[in-house]
Parts: sequence; structure tokens; C-alpha cells
Amino acid sequence: MSPPPARRKPPEKATDNRKAIKNILFLLKDYKLKIVLTVVFGIVSTVFSVISPLLIGLATTTIFDGINRIMNNTGTIDFNSLLFYLSVVVVLYIISSVFSYLQSYVLIDISTDISYNLRSRIMEKITSLSMDNVDENKRGDILSRITNDVDSLQNGITQAFLQMLTAIITIIGVFVMMLYINVWMTLATIILVPVSFLMIILVTRYSQSYFLKQLVFKGSLNAQIEETFTGHDIIRAFNQEEKSIEKFEQDNDEWYTQEWKSQFFSSLTGPAMNFISNFAYVLIAVLGAIFVLEKAIAVGDILAFFQYIENFTRPIQQITRVMSLVQTAMAATERIFEFLELDDEENPSDRQITDIEKEITFENVSFGYTPNEKIIKNLSFNVKKGEKIAIVGETGAGKTTIVKLLMRFYDIDGGEIKIDGVNIEEYDKHSIRSLIGMVLQDSWLFSDTIANNIRYGKLDATDEEVMEAASQVYADNFIKQLPDGYDSLLNEDVDNISHGQKQLLTIARTILSSKKILILDEATSSVDTRTEKLIQKAMDRLMENRTSFIIAHRLSTIKNADKIIVIENGEIIESGNHEELIAKKGYYYNTLNTQNKENII
Amino acid sequence: MRNILRPLKSKIPQIIMVIIFLIIQAYCNLTLPSYTANIVNIGIQNADIDYIMNTGMMMLAMVGISVLAAVFLSYFSSRISSGYAKDLRKIVYRKVLKFSNHELNDISRSSLITRTTNDINQIQSVIGMVLTTLLFAPILGIGSVIKAFELGTDLSWIILITFIVVASLLLIIITRVLPYFKVTQEIIDKMNRTSREILLGIPVIKAFVKQKVEQEKFEKINREFVDVNLYVYRRIFILIPSMSLIMNVMIVLILYFGAYNALSSSILTGDIIAFIQYSTQIVTSFIMMGGFLIMLPRIIVSGRRVAEVLNTEITITDGELTEISDKPSLEFKNVSYKYPRSEKETLKDINFKLEPGKTTAIIGGTGSGKSTILNLIPRLQDPTSGEILINGRNIKDYTLKALRDKISFTPQKAILFQGTVKSNMLTGKDDASDSEIEDALKLAQVDFIDSIYDKVSQEASNFSGGQKQRLSIARGIIGKHSFYLFDDCFSALDMNTEAKVKDNLYSLSEDSSILIVSQRISTIKDADEIIVMDNGEIIDRGTHDELNETCDVYHEIVSSQIDSMEVTL
Repeated sequence: MSPPPARRKPPEKATDNRKAIKNILFLLKDYKLKIVLTVVFGIVSTVFSVISPLLIGLATTTIFDGINRIMNNTGTIDFNSLLFYLSVVVVLYIISSVFSYLQSYVLIDISTDISYNLRSRIMEKITSLSMDNVDENKRGDILSRITNDVDSLQNGITQAFLQMLTAIITIIGVFVMMLYINVWMTLATIILVPVSFLMIILVTRYSQSYFLKQLVFKGSLNAQIEETFTGHDIIRAFNQEEKSIEKFEQDNDEWYTQEWKSQFFSSLTGPAMNFISNFAYVLIAVLGAIFVLEKAIAVGDILAFFQYIENFTRPIQQITRVMSLVQTAMAATERIFEFLELDDEENPSDRQITDIEKEITFENVSFGYTPNEKIIKNLSFNVKKGEKIAIVGETGAGKTTIVKLLMRFYDIDGGEIKIDGVNIEEYDKHSIRSLIGMVLQDSWLFSDTIANNIRYGKLDATDEEVMEAASQVYADNFIKQLPDGYDSLLNEDVDNISHGQKQLLTIARTILSSKKILILDEATSSVDTRTEKLIQKAMDRLMENRTSFIIAHRLSTIKNADKIIVIENGEIIESGNHEELIAKKGYYYNTLNTQNKENII
Repeated sequence: MRNILRPLKSKIPQIIMVIIFLIIQAYCNLTLPSYTANIVNIGIQNADIDYIMNTGMMMLAMVGISVLAAVFLSYFSSRISSGYAKDLRKIVYRKVLKFSNHELNDISRSSLITRTTNDINQIQSVIGMVLTTLLFAPILGIGSVIKAFELGTDLSWIILITFIVVASLLLIIITRVLPYFKVTQEIIDKMNRTSREILLGIPVIKAFVKQKVEQEKFEKINREFVDVNLYVYRRIFILIPSMSLIMNVMIVLILYFGAYNALSSSILTGDIIAFIQYSTQIVTSFIMMGGFLIMLPRIIVSGRRVAEVLNTEITITDGELTEISDKPSLEFKNVSYKYPRSEKETLKDINFKLEPGKTTAIIGGTGSGKSTILNLIPRLQDPTSGEILINGRNIKDYTLKALRDKISFTPQKAILFQGTVKSNMLTGKDDASDSEIEDALKLAQVDFIDSIYDKVSQEASNFSGGQKQRLSIARGIIGKHSFYLFDDCFSALDMNTEAKVKDNLYSLSEDSSILIVSQRISTIKDADEIIVMDNGEIIDRGTHDELNETCDVYHEIVSSQIDSMEVTL
């Protein structure tokens, strides 16, 4: 019988096999007892099933001899021994099946447990990573580790153990049993093993080249589909449909010509294995019959051999299939561990800080995301308790970096940041962050109710407190207009409320958490003028009586700040309040002027 | 669903070939046990080595034919499934290109991409499996039944019982487990969603020191996932050992009752051996089909997703007029637009006119409906009520080609295609000459390329946002058009460049109409007519000076933009 033609994809390979194996073994370390159990169960199950065909053979021989006796009228079938053989077979098979199930049961336990732990560890890692490691472009990658990679690993472990172990024990057991029946027949059939391995390798190697070829065309076709569907408006507005279809069909045809060949050659392993097992079948039938005549074996042994040879070719196919699973699993393990081995955020101190008494000071602070590129250079300024400081400068000047340093998302390379004279590095990071409220332009909300999102700043807040916070930032109105009010669910991409409304919610969240220090990144272009005014008012409300750092864009905010620092290329080029800076007639004054000229209509 | 099978129609001759080769293969495989029976019954019984060798040769011949059939089978099934996927992709692609914004938003672009690629691949691999495994199983099964009956052993009831036992077991387990596949998928989705959310929110989570809260949230889903997995796997894994147990019990029964029958009839040992092999064959075929059943839900999902694309009704169709005279005018008459499933109208009762030589501008906040107005003109979507007229005729009366040829369109998002600058410009006008291209590039202030043969990489990632916008503008203005539509496409340009591009664009208006949408006062202040929109309605119109005096909303926008220093500071 031919198995379904498996599409062989070249499995992804681990770059360092030894390390991957070491890591897998490390994962298995906690399950020693269970692993021993699966091995024992596997051996018991296989041994018992391997003996059965021999007994079936004996039963057949009993029938054959009996029928001969009937024909020669010398006796009849020996039903006693027939019944004995057959009952033993049934008992053996029941035992074997039970143990085989037990084996997989324990293995499922091990592998789901491992993958559960790995996922938890990855998540734990995600939340404790240092900030440089949660770069935007790595997100998709990290996500695929949680699902795909852990899955491949789990698959690899279950399949590899279950099938490999059973396959190897079966091959050995069958080999022994065949030898026990007849050496020459065994040798004749055993030669087929290397032949079939060779055939599989040849076919795979040949089909691989087609596979890789079609992969290129597939990639380019998929890219084209993606591009066209994204740029659909352009294609239609410019009457480009025909041209686009023409190009698509050309690529589509090219892919097809390579693809079917790749399919065809890779599916040839089916007929190849089919040939081998059928060839073995014929060999056994003919050789078996001759040996029976020579009295070397009994007739039933032929039947036993039929079953053995089937039990022999199947594991071989299994092994080749499992090998690619194992390779994928190893590559997955490598990626998972690579991630787990990333640096954690360090937090050596547990000294707590609960309030700010006097001031926050930056002293000669310098910092760069990479060692040789300084984003912040020798920055010094101080903020008194209750003051508002506006940080002003072009995009990329380093404004956001300054506040991130205060949050201790990154460690500075030189200088000191102090709160009331104490270097913030001497405090527990978490306690520093608990002191600071942050409202960023890119407002993060999670898919839950609006009330729970606001409550995030203070998990035990009552409904009244939540509503109070919302109305303080003028969000009350739009929330009440939503069909479910405060219980409205924000959907996955949080696109059921507008960008401005999202920002109002994050401000409400921060108000509720009542922090001592605030960091605000002002809204810019994507919000319309009216919502922007609301946000502005909400932020003003939020800043009352708090020490605030504002990354400012609006003249009105900047004007009202107690202190303005103008940043260019990571350095303070000017500082002072609005009047002082205007009087200075420097950078601030000049840009303000040209800006207004451009806009004066 | 029938829709997605249509491409198979042209493959019927090849499918018939597949069936023929399947039958040949099954036939050859099935003769082997009866030859064995003959070897045992005649060859061994009569000690006839010649007979044994001859039968062996016959068997080898059968094996050879069977392999050849299998190779041809693989050949045809690969061609059919690949060809089918190719044809289906083509149909889907052509269909999607006819979609209007309605249909695009209904299914979403990213989903359409997956449907055209992954889903079709899924269906393809299923077709391949149907052609080889699923069709083979019944052929082999039926053949075995026939062969088993031919042996006349009177043991067929054993096969029937086995059959019933196997079927019930499969049924019990599959019905238990199937609903959980859906649950598993849902949990995976939930897990992905939560992880993505946490990843995106890391700074906020850290700022609020809520690491533990998030970990626990994830932990709950993780636990749920493990529980479902354990439930499913523990049941599925019953199948393998129990199937082999059932098969072997069947063999035992055949041997035992075969022996009994041998007492009273002429049944021979070889027949029993052959019968065992046929019945094993029958049961395995059946199990194979059962395995296919497990995969069925996944296939149906993919099938449905592709079928949905093909079944989507195209809402925007061609008119008949192919000619639009030179210097046409365009008029919106009581045009309203409502997104399907949305309660609010995006556009309410819009009226305005574009005339040759005139520049019209639309200003308004986000979500005021500005872009929708522009999309209605090249019929990327059609209004829900009201009419858009060109020279007094509804634009639906013209062919899409004629209509769109008259329109130059620069969308908000500067989407460029992989290729060269020139290939992108040719999208704007198929037969543009190099000098035409260079003129357009100059007008759009594209001063950052070495030549028109410069490469444009995927998503034009080798250009900055402002550069992309300028290239996109250049593409829009290539060739002569009657209507120039610019949808807020200057937002990434600095003030200087914007001013230059804007002046150049205004110069296009000699014989043509220009419609500019923007949020910036500086872009539109020179327009002949400015339309102020709010919440889908036109609330005022006039020149800059008029509006600044009389329109509160307009004035508010003007003053807020003087206040804002977002560009330089």
C-alpha cells in the first residue's frame, strides 16, 4: 500500500546542534522518572507486539498441518494448540496496546508540561527584559517563539520519543525474530533496508533542488499579491488592472511549472517505498515457499514474515519523517533559548523611594543606545518640586530619551540623575517608576473594558473613582455615549475609539494613579484640532501641583512652563523661561519667529 | 463552496487518468495475496518449484506495473493539484482587482492576501491528498472486499464486525475531540493577542510596575491551553494502539474460524493467509479515510474563506459611454455616503462643482469625510445616495477606464511598487516618454534621485516619507488629466518643499480642475474655493479671507496652526 506522498520541505536547521541537544536534555532533566517510564513502557509494548506474528505463524502452521491431515485422512486440526496460540496472541496484544497508550500518555504529559513552562518562561522574560531587547522590529519574532517554536518543540519531543523509540525497538525486535525464524530469508530481506534508505535520500536530494527553485517563484508571487492588494487604490485609479493581471499570470505560470515538478519528485518517495515493500513481499512468498519445501521453515512462518516485513519498512519511513521533525524542533529550541538567554533588566537595589521632597537633578548625564553613538551628551539641569519643565527640540534631538532615562528604562553611561540628592540608581527601579506617571503619544490600551483600562493605574479603584478620573479629563462624555458606557470593550487593535479618545483614557489612567512626578508627551498631528484642545485641557488638569516633564510642541504649554530647555543633538543649547529665552534672541527666538512667519497668512 | 471547485472542471480528463492509474495500482497490489495463496495451496502442496518461481515472476511483474502506475499517478496528481491552485489563484486575483473599497474593507486587505496565498495552498494540498490517499482508500477497500468474497471463505462477517467496531470507535473519539479543535484555535488566537498586547505595552507595564499582573493574565490562558491540549491528545492517542489491537484480534478471529470452516469445506491455508491480508487492507483503507475526517474542519475553513471572496458581489460596474469631452466639469449633487454597518453617515448631502481652471480645496478635522469625497470621484466606492455628474451625466454611465483616464489621483498614503522610479511612473501613464516622466518629477520636486532607473525596493523602504510623497505626486500628475485630486499628500514635506510643489501643482489648472484635501492652512489658502467640512457635512465655503472672517471653525483651525510649533520645535 502506498503512503500519502509527503511534501518534504527542507527543515530549518539549528546552527549549533550540540547546544540544541544540550538544551533539550536540560529541559527533559526534570522528568527523569517519567522518561524512564516511557522507555520501559515502550520496550514492553514493542516486545509484546513483536512476538505476536511468530505465534500467528505457529497458529497458521497448525492449521496447515491439520488441513493436510484432513486431506490425507490421518487426523484433524489441533484445536487445542490453535486456541492456545491465539489466546496468547490476544493477551500479548492487549498488554502491548495498553503499554503503548501508557507510553504516549506519559509523553503527552511531559511535552505539554515542558511547553507550558517554556511559554511561561518566555512571557516572564518578555516582561523582565531590558528595554534594548524589546525593539519594535523584534516583536513578530518574539511572538512566533511563543506559539510556533514552542509548538514545534513539543511536537518534536512527543513524536521523536514516541516514534523514534518505538521504531528503533521494533526494528531490533523484528530483526531478532526474523533471524530466529530463518537466517537466509532474513538476509535476503534485510538487504532492502539500505536500498530503501538510499532511494529515499536520492529522491529527497533530487526533489530538493526543485523545491528550492519553486520557493523563489513562490516568494516573488506572494510579494506581488501583497503589493497589489495593498496598493489596490492605485491600481484601480490608474487603470492598471490589465497590466497587473498580465504580470501576475506570468509569475503564476512560472511558479506552477516549477511547483508541480517539485511536488512530483518529492511525492516519488511513496512509489519508491511501495516498490521496496512489495518487492520484499514477493521475495518472502517465493523464498518462503522454497524454504518450506526444504523443510527449513513452516508455512505459518511465511505469514509471520509478511507481518514482520511490514513492521520493518514502516519504522524506516517513520524515522525519516521524524528526523525532519527533530531538526525543526532543534532549530526551534535554539531560537527559544537564544531568547531566554537575553539580558534581564538589572535591579540590584531594594531601597524604596515614596516621594520627592526638593528636586530632581541631571548632572553631566550622557547616554547612547550604542556605545559609540551618544544620544545625550553631558546634560545638566534641575527641576524643583512642583515645577513644570518643557523639553523642546526637533524630532530625534533626544527629548524622549531624557525622560526614559529618568524612568530608568536604560542605564546612563556617565553622570548622575538624582532625586533629592540621591542617585536614582541607588533605589529599586520599581519604586522609582511607581513615583512617575507617564502619558505617551503612542497610547497603549489593552483589550478589556474602558473602566478596567482606566483602573490599570490603581487596580483597587472603585467605579466612582474611575468615573471621577474620566470626567476630570473630559473623557466622561464620549464614554457615556458608547453603547455600553464604561463597560464598553476596546477591541483587539483598539480602533473602535479615536486616537484622541485613547489619549484621554491614558490621561485618566494616569490621574487615577496619582503619581508625584509626571512625564507627558504632547499630542501632535494625527488628532484633530478640537480633540487636541480637550487633551490639552486634560493635561493641564493633570499637571496641577505635580512635578512635570513635558515634551512640548505647543506654544501655550511652552510659554507656561517654569523652565524650558532646548535640546539639539542631545545637548542643551538654551534654557530659561519663555521671556528669558525671547530676550536672549537665540535659537528659540529665531525658530519661533520663522515658524510664525510661515504660518502667517 | 461549489465555486472553488470550478477550476477542477478543466482537469476532468486528468482526474480520470488518476482514477485509472489508481485502479491499476490497486489491482496489482491486490493480486499479490491471491498469488501467495496459489503458492501455498498449489506450489507448496505439490512441491512444484517451477510453479512457485513462475508465480513469483508474475508477482514481480505486478509489482513493476504497480510502481509504474504509482509514478504516473504522482505525475498527474501533482499536475492537477498545482494547476488547480494556479487557476484558482488567477480567478481570485482577477476578482479582487474588481473590488471596490466596500468589498476591500469588508474582508480586509491582509485577509485577502492570506486567502490568495495560504488558504489556496491549503486547499491545494488537500486536493493532492484526495487524489492519492482518499480516492485510493475506497478503491483498495472495494477491491479487497471483492477479492475476499472471491476466496469464498465464508468469513466476511468478521470483516463486517471489525468495520463496525472501527467505525464506532472513530466516531466516538472524533466527535468528542472535534469541537475542541475549534476551542484550541480560539485559545491560540487569544494567546497571540495577549502576548502581542503585552509586547506592545512593555514601557507602560514597566512604568506602572504591573509585570506580575500581566504574567498572571498570560498564565491563565497558558493553563487553559495546556488543559485543552491534554484533553485532546489523551483521546486522540487512544486511536493508534486500539486500531492495531482491533486489527490483530480480527486476524486471530479469521484464523480461528477459518480453521473451523476448514473442517467442513474445501478452504485451504493459502486462502486464509490471503483473506487475512485482504481484510487488513480493508480496515486500513477505512482508517485512512477516518484520518482524513480529522483534517476536514481545517480544510473547510480555508475553502469557505476563498469561496467568500469568489462569492462577493462586485458593486462597481462599468457604464457604456467611452468618451468624455475635453474640459469637462464635475458636480456633486446631494451626495451622501454611509459605510455598511455604520450608523453614522460619513458624508451628508454634499454639493459642489469642479470647473476647468479652478482650484478647489477641502479642509476639516480627521474623520470629517474629506478622503471619502476624493475616493468617490474615480469610483473607488459609490455614493449611497445622490449623484456625481460629469458634463451633466452620472459618472456611472461612463466606462471605468474612460472615467479614470481623466483623473489624476494622489492618495494620502504614498504607496509605491517594487521596481524602478520609471516603472512606478509608468503606472501613472502606460506610454509616458522619459521626458514626460522627468517633467512630472521636476514639478513634484523629486530632486533626490540619480536617474529614473533608480531602484524602488519593496514598500519603497529606500525612500523617506517625504520622498515617497513626492514620487507619488509625480506619478499622479504624469500626462494630461482633466481632474487632479490630491488627498492630503503633503503632510511629510517640510514647509519649503511644500510651498514649491504646491505652486507647481496650481499651475496645472489651466484647462483642468484641481481638488486638494488638506489639514494645513498653508496648503489651501490660495485656492479659488475652500470647502470647510465637519462631521461629514459642508459647513461653509468661500475664499481664505472670507472664511477667516466669517467661519468660526475655519478661524479656529487657522489660529491653532499659528499656535502650533510642531514642525520646527
